[in-house]
Amino acid sequence: MRFKPALLLAALALGAGPVLAAQVTLLNVSYDPTRELYEQYNRAFASYWKGKTGDTVTVRQSHGGSGKQARSVIDGLEADVVTLALAGDIDAIAKNARLLPENWQKRLADNSTPYTSTIVFLVRKGNPKRLLDWNDLVRPGVSVITPNPKTSGGARWNYLAAWAYAQRQPGATPASAQAFVGKLYKNVPVLDSGARGSTTTFVQRGIGDVLLAWENEAWLALNELGPGSYDIVYPSVSVLAEPPVSVVDKVALRHGTSKVAQAYLQYLYSPEAQDIIARNYYRPRDAAAATKYAGQFPKIATLVTIADFGGWGKAQAEHFNDGGIFDRIYAP
Amino acid sequence: MNLRNLSIAALASGVTFMAQAADQSAEQSAGATGDTQTTLEQRLQRAEERIKVLERRLELADETATTAAKAAPVVKAAPAGLSISSGDAATVIKLRGNLAVDARFFLDQNTPSTADGFLFRRVRPYIEGTVGGIYDFRFMPDFGGGRAIVQDAYVTARFKPWLALQAGKFKGPVGLERLQPDQYNRFMELGFPSGLVPNRDLGIQLSGTLLGGTLSYAAGYFNGTADGGSTDANATPDADNDGKRDWEGRLFALPFANSDSFALRGLGIGVGASYVNSTGVATSSATAVSATSLLPTYRTPGQQSLFSYRGDTASTTTINEATVAAGVRRRVSPQFYYYVGPFGLLGEYAQVTQQVRRQIDATTTRYGSLQHSAWQVSASWFLTGEEAAYAAFTTRSSFLPGKPGSGAIELVARVQGIHFDDEAFSGGATSFANPASSVHKADALGFGLNWYLSQNFKWQLDYEVTRFTGGAASGDRPDERAALTRFALIF
Repeated sequence: MRFKPALLLAALALGAGPVLAAQVTLLNVSYDPTRELYEQYNRAFASYWKGKTGDTVTVRQSHGGSGKQARSVIDGLEADVVTLALAGDIDAIAKNARLLPENWQKRLADNSTPYTSTIVFLVRKGNPKRLLDWNDLVRPGVSVITPNPKTSGGARWNYLAAWAYAQRQPGATPASAQAFVGKLYKNVPVLDSGARGSTTTFVQRGIGDVLLAWENEAWLALNELGPGSYDIVYPSVSVLAEPPVSVVDKVALRHGTSKVAQAYLQYLYSPEAQDIIARNYYRPRDAAAATKYAGQFPKIATLVTIADFGGWGKAQAEHFNDGGIFDRIYAP
Repeated sequence: MNLRNLSIAALASGVTFMAQAADQSAEQSAGATGDTQTTLEQRLQRAEERIKVLERRLELADETATTAAKAAPVVKAAPAGLSISSGDAATVIKLRGNLAVDARFFLDQNTPSTADGFLFRRVRPYIEGTVGGIYDFRFMPDFGGGRAIVQDAYVTARFKPWLALQAGKFKGPVGLERLQPDQYNRFMELGFPSGLVPNRDLGIQLSGTLLGGTLSYAAGYFNGTADGGSTDANATPDADNDGKRDWEGRLFALPFANSDSFALRGLGIGVGASYVNSTGVATSSATAVSATSLLPTYRTPGQQSLFSYRGDTASTTTINEATVAAGVRRRVSPQFYYYVGPFGLLGEYAQVTQQVRRQIDATTTRYGSLQHSAWQVSASWFLTGEEAAYAAFTTRSSFLPGKPGSGAIELVARVQGIHFDDEAFSGGATSFANPASSVHKADALGFGLNWYLSQNFKWQLDYEVTRFTGGAASGDRPDERAALTRFALIF
């Protein structure tokens, strides 16, 4: 028969390769201050997933200013999931790179935001310059540290919180709000690209009288970076920041990680994860965790949301896009 | 009081006065120094603050410069090929390749021994890329099979997600397995339905995705090509051979693409179709005959001839008896796929209705409308747990001797069938196809193993048994038992 070569090939096929246990790697592209959170969460999720499926999950992290991170994903950074500071940055990925559907935010609970946060003032111990509210930050001689809203999601929340305060002053107009925020940014000596950079500037480099910070970042500085050196001040007006999460569908599909990526984000809503979230000073969605950690999250008198600014599409275009209000009030 | 006492008293008063004056002067100097010291301290503090700010700005400027360096043009050699891209990735040029070396061996006694052997199935170096962010291009020649042709040469403008315009030579939008990128075909040779739908053709096409990516469409206007064929096989290669253009289109839905349920996301269903009204030519002269029939030859899984229309067998040149296309050719192909986890399923049905004619003698022309159909269902399973996909799956590991990792191992199986219209064989010597050499029907069962040693290198082994009805001078053609293997490098 003329099939000796075929028989040889068939024999090779029968001896072909063993079946391996699954090893999965995810890339989580996140905003700047979440390093500590995801270090702990990733360990917890890996343990949970191993127990559930037997597979080993390794999660690689990338951190940076939320806007910068979104642009990196659009430009080709192969994120399986994104966990960014604001919905507008994930919308940009959906719109410009078409890596996930435009209705992504509806896929997980609470508009795909497993926790919330807000913006506070971190001041030097004893608050020597008596910085109690936003109007104190525009006084001459006060040095304010905040990141660049062009690159940082937290910075955009900071900016909007200041704008919201100015809008609520007697006789306020858009022009007066713009003038107020302009005065604030005149007191900013350094613009870092992300929230963690600003923390470095304020804490490690000792620059500035006040850091406009994510609440969790302020507590991190207080407890770990400089215990006894700082105080946290809650202003009268701040924002309810809702950092969202999403699977980057086309990348996950390409990597074959869709199922794990989905589970990774879903697990953020679990009791174990919500406890980790709260321990890291993010405001949990879970009622039990919120009750347990209520003492570390004071109420703020007035909390505005992005809806008060007409949504991220409007706010981004009006304030932060090239030629927007920020470009008009701040010149390096 | 005498002069001595007065002098002593005066001297004492003077000393006292001078001492008092000295004390007052010292006090004034100390106050001025204190003010100056405080001012100096403040100035020093401000200077230190400014130095710290400047140092921090320098630090950030360094970080920005480092980032900017990263945004410079990038040259990458990766599993997806060699690429050069601009810093903003709006312009990307990729050098890629597809090299497939096949071996075919037939275990039946009917297939000639000359069909056994090795061949270059694909030798395709190609270049593709994007300019300006939305303008794509591809140029892909093929030197396999001992010829040099252009397989793909097209440009695409992606204006919107729902509107892209493509022009050039590329795969027609009808067949599902046909449209699958070649490197992701689960079997070495495509199934019977792909033999009924167009391959690569020259034309223009509008396409896009709608409804959040759950529905895609394509509508094109092409030169036209025979079933399963590409225009490079036309009588005049890569040119319109009949003066008529084919309309081709498809709708394909991924109804659960945005669903929360992973199990349903991988389901896709659709339909493709084409239409043309075109006529072949069979000419004769005093000295020669020629034909541009516009009709195909259909092939077995082992790429042997399965069915072909009669050519000219007249003993004179006064008539040309070849069967040629004579009017409407209509194709329709419902199709689906389903991928979940390591499992994949692909199925399609294709039907072509072809009007034909044949010059029987000087005064008799026979006309017919023939309807051929084919179907296939193929399944795949990644033993190594990769997530199966219609295209672009990723191996979890690579096979490197001495290191952990086995690559991706996939088992595949396929059942398929093709049926040719009985009218093609009716009429004895006047039939449109010769029943002694063309089969009425074929059914095949195939199994395969795909070993992706890495993302770029794979080894395939297929074995397929095809059973025929008809196709022999008497009785049925013996089964074809084809053992095929391929070593392929794709980057």
